[in-house]
Order: sequence, then C-alpha cells, then structure tokens
Amino acid sequence: GQETMRQAVTMKGTNITLADAFSLLKKQTGLTVFYGNQLLNDQERISFDFHNQQLQEVLAVLLKDKPLKYELRRNQVIVLSKITVPANPLISQQQSISGQVSDKNGPITGVSIRVKGTNRGTATDANGRYTIQAATGEILVFSLLGYTVQEQTVGTGPTLNVVLTENIQEIDEVVVIGYGTVRKSDLTGSVAQVKAKEINAFPNANVLQSLSGRAPGVQIRQASGAPGPSMSVRIRGGNSIQGSNEPLYVIDGFPIQGSPTQVNNSEIESVEILKDASATAIYGSRGANGVVLITTKSGKAGKTKVDFETSFSTQRLVRKLDLMNAREYALFYNEQAKNDGVNPYFTDEQINTFGEGFDWQDFVFKTAPLSNTALNISGGNEKTVFSFGGSIFSQDGIIEGSDYKRYSVQTRINHKISDKFRAELSGTLSKLGTYRKDSEGGNRGNSLMSAAISSPPILTPYNDDGTYRVLHTSYPFMATDLRNPINYINEQSNVTKANVALLNASIIYDITPDLFLKVAGGIENRDDRQDEYTTTKFYNSIGSASIKTTQFTSLLNENTLNYSKTFHEVHQLNAVLGFTYQDFKTTFVSASGTGFLSDDFYTGNLSAADVPGIPSSGYAKSALVSFLGRVNYTYNDKYLFTASLRRDGSSRYSDGDKWGYFPSAAFAWRAFNEPFLKDISFMSDLKLRTSWGLTGSQAIDPYTTLNLLEPGKTIFNDDYAGTFSPSTELPAPLKWETTEQFDVGLDVGFLNNRLSFSADYYVKNTRDLLSRVLLPSSMGYTSTTQNIGKIQNRGFELGLDAKVLNGPFNWDINTNISFNRNKVVKLSEGDDLLRDNINMLVVNDATGILREGRPVGQFWGYVEDGYDDTGNIRYKDLNGDGTISAADKTYIGNANPKFIFGFNSIMQYKDFELNLFFQGSYGNDIFNASSISNTMDYGFGLNMPKEVLNDHWSPENTDAKYPKISKSVSVRASDRFVEDGSYIRLKNIMLSYRLPIQRFGLSWLQNLQVYVSGQNLWTGTKYSWWDPETNFQLDQNSYPLAKSFTFGLRAGF
Amino acid sequence: CQKELEENPQAVNAEDFYNTAEEVETAVNAIYTPLRITMFPNYIATLECQSDWLYGRGSWDPLSQYQGLNDANVTRVSGFWDVFYRSIRNANLVIQKAPLGTSISVEDVNRFVAEAKFLRAFCYFQLVRNWGGVPLRNENNMLEPNLPKSSVEDVYQFILADLLEAESNLPTTQADGGRPTVWAAKTLLGDVYLQLGQYEQAEAKASEVMATGNFSLVKIANKEDFQQQLYGPDIQTTSEEIFSFKYARLPDQGNYILWISNHPSTKLFSFDGAYAVHGYATNPNYINQDEADIRKQLWDKIDFGLGPNTLVSSKYVDQKAISQTGAGNDQPIYRYAEVLLLYAEANCRIQHAVTTEAMEALNQVHRRAYGLDPKIPSDIDLKLADYTAETFIDRIIQERGYEFVYEGKRWLELKRTGKVDELISYGKGKTVAEKHLLWPIPVSEMNYNKALDPKVDQNPGY
Repeated sequence: GQETMRQAVTMKGTNITLADAFSLLKKQTGLTVFYGNQLLNDQERISFDFHNQQLQEVLAVLLKDKPLKYELRRNQVIVLSKITVPANPLISQQQSISGQVSDKNGPITGVSIRVKGTNRGTATDANGRYTIQAATGEILVFSLLGYTVQEQTVGTGPTLNVVLTENIQEIDEVVVIGYGTVRKSDLTGSVAQVKAKEINAFPNANVLQSLSGRAPGVQIRQASGAPGPSMSVRIRGGNSIQGSNEPLYVIDGFPIQGSPTQVNNSEIESVEILKDASATAIYGSRGANGVVLITTKSGKAGKTKVDFETSFSTQRLVRKLDLMNAREYALFYNEQAKNDGVNPYFTDEQINTFGEGFDWQDFVFKTAPLSNTALNISGGNEKTVFSFGGSIFSQDGIIEGSDYKRYSVQTRINHKISDKFRAELSGTLSKLGTYRKDSEGGNRGNSLMSAAISSPPILTPYNDDGTYRVLHTSYPFMATDLRNPINYINEQSNVTKANVALLNASIIYDITPDLFLKVAGGIENRDDRQDEYTTTKFYNSIGSASIKTTQFTSLLNENTLNYSKTFHEVHQLNAVLGFTYQDFKTTFVSASGTGFLSDDFYTGNLSAADVPGIPSSGYAKSALVSFLGRVNYTYNDKYLFTASLRRDGSSRYSDGDKWGYFPSAAFAWRAFNEPFLKDISFMSDLKLRTSWGLTGSQAIDPYTTLNLLEPGKTIFNDDYAGTFSPSTELPAPLKWETTEQFDVGLDVGFLNNRLSFSADYYVKNTRDLLSRVLLPSSMGYTSTTQNIGKIQNRGFELGLDAKVLNGPFNWDINTNISFNRNKVVKLSEGDDLLRDNINMLVVNDATGILREGRPVGQFWGYVEDGYDDTGNIRYKDLNGDGTISAADKTYIGNANPKFIFGFNSIMQYKDFELNLFFQGSYGNDIFNASSISNTMDYGFGLNMPKEVLNDHWSPENTDAKYPKISKSVSVRASDRFVEDGSYIRLKNIMLSYRLPIQRFGLSWLQNLQVYVSGQNLWTGTKYSWWDPETNFQLDQNSYPLAKSFTFGLRAGF
Repeated sequence: CQKELEENPQAVNAEDFYNTAEEVETAVNAIYTPLRITMFPNYIATLECQSDWLYGRGSWDPLSQYQGLNDANVTRVSGFWDVFYRSIRNANLVIQKAPLGTSISVEDVNRFVAEAKFLRAFCYFQLVRNWGGVPLRNENNMLEPNLPKSSVEDVYQFILADLLEAESNLPTTQADGGRPTVWAAKTLLGDVYLQLGQYEQAEAKASEVMATGNFSLVKIANKEDFQQQLYGPDIQTTSEEIFSFKYARLPDQGNYILWISNHPSTKLFSFDGAYAVHGYATNPNYINQDEADIRKQLWDKIDFGLGPNTLVSSKYVDQKAISQTGAGNDQPIYRYAEVLLLYAEANCRIQHAVTTEAMEALNQVHRRAYGLDPKIPSDIDLKLADYTAETFIDRIIQERGYEFVYEGKRWLELKRTGKVDELISYGKGKTVAEKHLLWPIPVSEMNYNKALDPKVDQNPGY
C-alpha cells in the first residue's frame, strides 16, 4: 500500500470528467480505479497538471471538495462516497435507510445487508436497491460472495449508496495449470502456489531451494552443501524405484530437461506445484512425480517499473564436529596400540607436548561470500508489454576454490498484432560456471570430505620447506589412503561451464472471442563443458587432464485450441485441445590424457600428455508425441467438473508399448455457495474436491529396450584391442510405469478468510513399476528391468494460512504439514532387493532392502547386543543358528519421515518487517556411514570425535558407547549407525526496514527496503554428524551445508 | 508419428553382429575384459592370504585366520564369481554365435570357438576349485535363470571337453601375445589332469610342451633380473611365458597387483601401494629359504606398524606406471617353470620313484633361482639319491612355494595335495576350519537362481 501511494504520477488534463481522469491514472500507474457510476458527477469538469507528484497527492487533488473518499486495496483504488459522521452520535433514533449497492459494472442483486450486532437484515433487489431500519451511528455490513465485505456507518441522511469491490483476493489469485490458467476458486485439483515474495525471501542459487518447506506435500532438500544447486524434490513421496522421482519442470510452458537451474529467483512471478492426478494428468507420461510450473515475470501496461535488488552473505560451516585434539589423539592411538599388542606410538613426553594440535576442519572450511544482484525492468502499453531482467549470482563454497556463478538474462514480451493476433516471446539465457571441490564419499581420508575429519591433529598440512606433508607415511600406522586435504584443495580442479538457453515463442489467433488457437515453438539448449585437472603436485600424480563437452537440445512444438464461454450465466465451460511434439537429443565428446611435463598445460593441450586416453563420444535421441484435451465445466459457481485425457507416444519404450493413455477426472463442490451455508457468519469459504487419474513416468533412458553391444578395450601384446559385449543388464521389452492417484481435498476459510485451511488426502498406486529384477549372477547378466512391481504412497497434507493480527501491527502465519506413508506392494516373485551398498572397508554391505510390505527406504542390518568380555561387539543371533551371518539382518530403521513441516511467520509494524521461517522433518532415520570410518575403524590413525576417546569399552567401562579401541573389532552394518534424523531448522530469519524515502524528497525512488537475514542459523536435531538435511537417508561424507548472514537491499523506481 | 518414435541409436545391435571374423574377434576379446582389470589381481591376493606364506592386512586379515570368510571377504569373492561368469557368458556368446556368422570362414570359427572354450574352461577351473560344484552355463542354457548346480565331476568333465577341443583347434603360435596357443591348452589340461589325479595324462601334456623346445626358463643373474626380465613392466613376452594376462601402461589397462603388493617407501611402484598382502620374516618357510636363493631377495623388511619382521614383496615393480591401475607388468598364469614342476610331480607319482627326468625338471627351476644356467648341472643340484618319492613330492611342493609366491597358486595347491592342515600349521601355526576350504556361493546367485536350495546347495558353514 504505502509504496503504491507514493509512486510518482505525471499527467495532464484539461476540462475532463473525473472518470476520464481515472482512466489516465490507470494508464500512468497500472492501477485500476473502481467507482460506482452514479457516484461521479459526469457534468463536472476538472483540469490538472501533475508533475512527478505522489499518487496520494494526486488523488487528494482530484477528489478535493467532492463527497468522495478513496481506499487502496491490493493495488486498486476504490472510490467510495464520503460519509459524514454525525456531529452528535447520541442520536439513536431508528430510521429507514435506503440506497443502492453497485459494483464497477452497475447495480448488484443479492447483496446481504445486516445491521452489525443485531438480527436485522435484508438483501438488495434486482435493481440493487435495499431498505433497512437503522439508527445513526449503527454499522451496516454489506456482503456478497466474490466481493469484499464492506461496513458503513449510518449517517444522518436517509440514503446510503455503496460500491462493493470484487474480492481482490479471489480475482487476483489466478493459478497457472498445465496448458492454461484457472481462478483459484475454480480449481478442482490439488495445486500449491508459491509467490514471488516467498521465493525471494532469502538468497538462493535455485528456485527449488526457495520452495523448501513452502508447500504441503512437497519435500525439498539440498542434497549437498556444495555451491550451486543440487536438489532433491519429492512430491507426495517417491513412486519409482528405478527411475527418477524428480518432478517435471515447466518454465513458461516449456517442459525442460532436469532441474530449473537457469532462472534467477528474482525473475519468477510464481511457482505452481501440481500434485494430484487431475492437475498432472495433462502432462501424461511425465506427470507421475508431480509437475512444477514456473512462471516468469511479465510486464504490465503503464509506467515503466524498475526493480533492483542486491544482497551479500557470508557463509560458514553449519556445525563443526567435536574431534579429538592432538593430545587426545595420541592417547587414543596409544591405547589402540596397547590393545593390539604393539608398542605405544607416542611417548608420554610427546603426548605432553602435543596440546591442541592442528584443527583440520578450520583449515578446510572457510568463511565464504555469496552475492546476488538483479535488475528487472517492465512496462508497456496496450499493444505491447515487456519485462526483462538480468542477474548475477555468485556463491563461493565454504571450501576454498569451490564456487558457483550464474549470469542470466530473462525476457518476456507480449504483443498485440491486431484484433485477431497476439504474439508472445519468453526467453532465458544463462551462463553457469562452477568450480567443484566435492571430493565426497570415500573412507579413511581418501576424499576431501573424509580427509577433513580424518587427518591427524598431530600433523600440519605443510612441511617446514613449504611442501605438502604426506600424512600417510608420517607414521607407520596411518591409513594408506589418507590424503592431505591440501592436495584436493590446491591441486585438483573440476570446472563446469554451461550455456543454457530456453526460448519459447507463440502466435495466438483469436478465432472468435471465445476461441483461440495457440501455436508455440520452443528450444531448450544446453552446452556444457567440464574440465578436470590433477596437477603433478597432487600426491603421487603425474598430471591428468580430462575434458567432456555435452550438447543437449530439445525442440518443442505445441498447438492448442482454447475455448471458454459462459452459457445462460450459470454454465461455464473451458476446454483445451492440443497436439504436441518434443524431442530430446544429447551428444557428448570426451577426451583425456595423463602424464604432463608441466602443469601449465592444464586442460589446454591434451596432446601434450604422455599417455593419451581413449576419446569417447555418445549420442542419444528420443521423441515424445502427444495429443491432449481437457474440459472444465462449472455450474452456478457451485459444481465444478474437470476431465482430461492425454495420449503419449514415446520412442523409449518397446514396439507395441510406445503409446499410453492418461485420463483424469475431478469434481469440486463449492459448498459455501449453497444457500444453506450462507448464513454461517464465521465461515467465508468451503470447497470439497475429489479427483482421480493416471500418470506415467519416463523412467528409462533411450535405447534401454534394445540389445546393444558396448565397445571396450583390452590388451594384447602391449596394445589395445577392441571388444564388444553386452552389458550386465539383460534388455527386455518395457512399457509405461503407471501411477494411479486418488485425492480428496477440502478448502475452508473462516472470518472473511483471515483463517484458511486446505487439507488433502491421497492414495497413489504405481503399477507396472519398472523394477530391476536381479538375475542369478552365473548368467553373466546381473539384472534385467521388467514392469513388475507395485508401490503405494498415501498421505495427508494440511496447509494453514492465518492473518493473526491486522492493523498497524500485522501478523501473518503460513504453515503446512505433510504425512506420507510409502509401501512396496509387490516385487518380482516377491524377491527382496538389497540396495544402498556402502563400502567403508570395515563395512562393505547393503544397508537397505526393498521388500513387499515395507517402505522404500527401509534400513537393513544387524542388531547389536552390547559387548563381550573382551570389548568386542556382540550381535544378536536372530535366527538362532549359533553364528552371525547375513541371515541375522533385520529392519533397523526407516528413512521416511513421519511428517515434514514448514512454518512461516511475517510480522509487520509500520516500516519494519520480521520474517521467521522454520522447516523440518520428524521421524526419519539416517544411516550414518560417515561415522563408520571415524568412530569404528581403529588402527589407521584417523581422527575421531572426542566421544570415542571418552566413552569406549574398557574393563572399567563395559557399558560404553563404543567398543574396545582395537583393530580386531568386528564392525557390521548395524543399528549403531542408524540415527534419528529429525530436525527443526530456522531456515531464514529476516528483519527488514522500508526507508521513509518521501521524507528525503527522493521522488525518483518508489521504495527502498534494507534487510538483514540469517539462514540455517539454528537447527534442533539429535543427529550427531554435520547435517541431517543434506544427508537424508545415507550420510557418506558429503559436502556439508553452510549457515549464512545476509545483508540486502531492494529498491523500486 | 510412428517414424518419429523409432529408435535409431548410433551403436551396434547384438542381432546384427557376430557375422565377420573381425566382429567375432572383438567378441572373443571381450572374454578377457572382466577377468583382467582389478579382478584377477584381487583374486590372486585373496588366494595368497590363505597360503602358508602370506598374510592379509586389514580387510584381508580374516582370510589368514582360516575361520571362514567374513562379510567383507564374502563380498569380495562374490565379485570373483560374478566376473568369472561374465567371462563365461561372453565365451558362450562366441561359441553360440560364431558358427552362425554370415561372412566368416570355418577355420576362423574353429579358432575363435577354441579360444572361447579355453577361456571358459579356465574360468570353470577356478570356480570348481574354490566353490566345488557350480551351475554349468553353456551356450545352450545361458539365458535360463534357474539352473541347478552340477557336481564337481560334471564340471571337470565339461572343462576337459572344452580343453580337448581347444587343444585340437588352437594354433601353435598367436600373433597377439596374450591369446592361448595349443601349448597353453596342453598346460592347462595338464594342470586339470594333475588336479584330477590323472597323472599319466598330466605327464603326457607336460611332456608335449617340454618336447617342443619352444620354451625355456629365463636366465637370471640377480634380483633385478627377476623383477625386470621375468615379471618386468617393459618386456613383451619371455621364453618362459605360456599363458599370461597382458597389461600395459595405458589408462586402466595396467596390472593392479602392484598396488596390492607394494609399499610406498620402496618407491618400486610409482603409485604407492597398499601392502595389503605381506609376509613375515618369522615364517619358517622364509627362515628356511636359502639365503643364496635370489627369490628370497624379492622381500623387503618394512615396519609399517606390524613390527620389524614384516616383509613386503618386491616381485612386481614398475617405477613408470601411469596410475594405480597403470602398471605395465604382465600377469603370468602359466610359466614354463610350472610345466617343469608339473611334469616332475606327475612323473614321480606315476613311477612311485624319483626319475632322472623328474629330478632334472625340478633342478632346472632350482638352478635358475640361484642365478645359474637352468640347463647346466651345478653344485647346488638336488641329488637323486637324497630323495624318496614322498620327499621328492614334498620338495616339489616346497619349490612351488618359493617359485610361485604371489602368483595365486599356493592355496589351491595345498588343497589339491591335501597339505592344508599340515603346511598352514607349519607355516603360520593356524588350524583351518572346514568351512574355510570352500567359498560360499554368493547371495547374488543363491537368492535369484530358483533351482538352488540354500539349505542343500550352499557350501558348508555358510
């Protein structure tokens, strides 16, 4: 409101009516002015000449000396008749009040009028007129669904004319759905909408990061703390065990490949997440995992708007592990030596001089900057509106040398060619670049992440002469694989640069006012190049370089007919019919070489390598041909029906199974519009929804069903010889994986929608599951893929929005919670599938099992049973055969959360705003494989948490957390490593202040807001390792998450 | 639309392949791939941990405890099973498809099928000795998922049939070093016959190889000669080579056993080494080895935390390797030294006495180890008069221990000769649990081959 009132207006008028003045104002500002026709005197003429004057001044001048006042609601100016409050309010004689109720189009019938606090009430007649008994000072309440409830104090006069404004909330909330848009109130499916403000709440490399915790039923987590996006998104649980469970992303109508990394958050107007089959079935074979629609900003006719924002953050490691210092380390390994019958590694004298030693975590993880700057310009006139913007996102990783940079330019133009033709163009061009330092996974310090915690505190990174210390030969007991982290930080580089273009153009032909044809063509193109180099200074390296370039192109053609008409005022019909074609082509070339005379060559001259690698290249192309149709029918704003059908043909499946049908149907009942619910005053909305439909998944890669031979090389004499053989996967005919989803939902609003709930219950059954069927390994093939399994996800999700306080102190809360239960219903011949193998040397085993009746994400392992007399771990002999074997493994945990939640609170007071955003997960377990090497693998000189030193088995401490410190401890994939991964995290806290710029006289500036914020500042969790969010399910030395402080500025001109 | 949905990969389809000699040759080459890289060196190391000489470190240690395999080693040997059978599958494809080729000569078909059968027999010979009876996958049942175990006898019959065909169709020389010749087939046959106690046939095969005169022991003057002239990274072949896996200093085409055996401090391998399988100077076999035996010098004492008597092998060295898997050393599978000792043992077992020929065969290996000309009698020669048939066999077993250390022969030899208990107890002071004698059939087979019953078909103790 405030910034709207302060926007500058320049316009001139001579002898014009007020109505004309308002339309000039609309052109200038884009603001619609609502007024009742009879309110304005069309005889009266006014003249004015405004130069860069604030809107509030302009309105004051225009309405001066008229019986009118104005209000500003949701960027619309509402002109109302000014009621003069009686001088003496004590007069309370009831009198007959009459008048007319109208909206911008004229009188309206059926408006309910009540005298506040009494039983007196009436409604307007066909001419919008009403009469009611009321006393001066009493308040009349005017209400009608679809309009903002208005209260008017009865004055002294007998006439009270009222102009109602359409309920802006409902008008505004247009929701984007597949191949169209729909009013939120007309939705039949389950669609979550996330608006620009939430998306931009804090700096994020990727729109997906901003969606985390914002929408019910959507689980989004960062899969790694490395700079740049690496997101995992699950909408209502995972359907597929073989294919991807990531949703389909559609940017401005273009279904893209992979994740939407190319768009800057500031360019996004809204994101819609389609969840139930009614919403997703229109995307047919790609809809099973849900669909995320991203709509970029478009311009509005009127004054050109310029928005600028910039922010700067500093990030650091979210949490340090409490590892042993040098003295503790020496004591610890002396104990191991003693237990294993070797001489102590360190003398008492040495131990006493070690002290704290070197902190490798501080050495590896630094404070790192992140900055984000974006500029957007938008505007236009009746014929053409435009929006374009540019942004620079730059994030350094908390490991030196890692970063992510994105430069992007975004354009959107809509142009009206003639009465019949319109054209649209939207495009994004991004340049991405990232230096990676994510040598992850590993064990015993053979990756950067593992080395950061494993390196001994008694050693430092450099020798006295400045060369890199070789850790593993410094003491005889050190793990052979342990590498000084400096090697990875300084001497190994992995750079990816990508150019991503997404362009979509369309021509729209308005055949009749109700029918239009849209022909769209689009290109997605991504060229990337990855350069990897390991220098000759890296331990034991002779220099190795490799380059890989990948070219991906997707071409899209969409032709849709849209029809929209209302019959007899109560029958509303919308239909879309379409044909689309999309193809996907990927090619790559890679080359490598090892042995370089000088590191100066880097990847610039592979021919300088002593030993050139075998170059390789690849090619894959697939196509999708589709027919689609959808009908929406609404009767009397009460009964809403949607039916859709898509027929997809995909090249990836076997002949005869290439085509699939994906129907859906939905029904919604706006019960609130029934007369019998009208009078429940505290309720302001009630809608019941139900839907059913089928969607598919393109879970396989091109050529999967073909019996292709793989080329390879072997050696005779000293030379290469070519080989051709089948892979270990036996190809078999395949068809679609189909997900059938049923949904019931409820939307309720109370107290004029100050409180609104949305609840959904769903059941998803995925059948013909593409499952990996394991074959006896003696076949030489290890597996084949068949359409065999069934998986079920069912769940309940709840969203709650509350405007807790309204007024000078404004407090809004949005919160959501989702419960999903996942179950494997059927597998091939009921066979278990062991999976999620880890190889940490001391433990090399599967940690998960797929079994009928159990969830996907079931942990599988041994159960510990204390220690024996020598401090070794005892395992439960569950099958009672006297030995511990794989037959004693059982269920030891479940990676699926019982529920996930998000909680967002926005408090505003005057120009201050405080925003708190919490997000979390409850009841999920994590298999902490990272801790295997660093709490249980004794005798290799790895550093460990202090806890291992302080609480391990000894004859005096038999009930210890850790066993005897000895190499001979037998470690198995047991319940010891399964930890509670529940957490609640303060994802963002932000305090912002809107500067009173009018006081500074900066008329060229519309608004200026500064803020400070913090991300991931607090986490409540029992999880023992770095982070429960990034290490969902399996923690295996991944790049840890950062917490950050941000200072930012937003300005509008 | 239908045309748009056709798949046209830029790749070859199995249905259109195996038609020309060139195509079939690449399919034959693919039999070697699964075996060579990392798998075979790991297989050798696993066998050596169970020998009377060598000790596994870290995850390999349980192998040297002789109480059966723990999880890590069960997983490890399960990988060997998978890989042997992958090679068998690739061999079966050649045996099945080559005769159907549209543009290939009968001679080429026979030659390629013989090579495939040699390799298939080689794989089954490893399988049967480590696992006992196993499913017999041939070109006809290769796609039948559920296949019962064959008996040990049937597996050997199958191996013999394959090898006899390979023997009759393999060429006497191969242009590509690394492919089996008729001599390789005869040697492998000899080894199989020896295993089966069919000593006449074993002796005959060894004699045929010896009679060609094509092979002779490499002459050695010092330790470096062993390292460079016999096992070295730079040599292409030797007069002693009968069958080897070929490795080269090319990316991921090198011999991984150097990484397994070496210690970084020796700098004998340019990419460190894990010294995962090592020796002890306190092992009686080491103590009893004559100091003049140059082979004893292929051990370095290095204390890496297991005490000053720890030995690290320097048998395989390459200071110019390009990566952990980029050492140029070929891996000997059968050397002429083995043919000589095979002959000596078979001959002695047939005659129940020590013959001059058998003693000469043993002495050739013995002399060479002392840096002498193998063919010229010397002072250190073992004397006929000093041995009975029984002590002569023991002496051959001892000589094999010295000669083939770190070549993956020993454990299988102890099992064949029934010397497991005696020699493991002697060398390491350990007793061997019965379950340690056969490896478990992996879960990857047991769970998915419905013709196997875990109660009946699993090896004892698992």
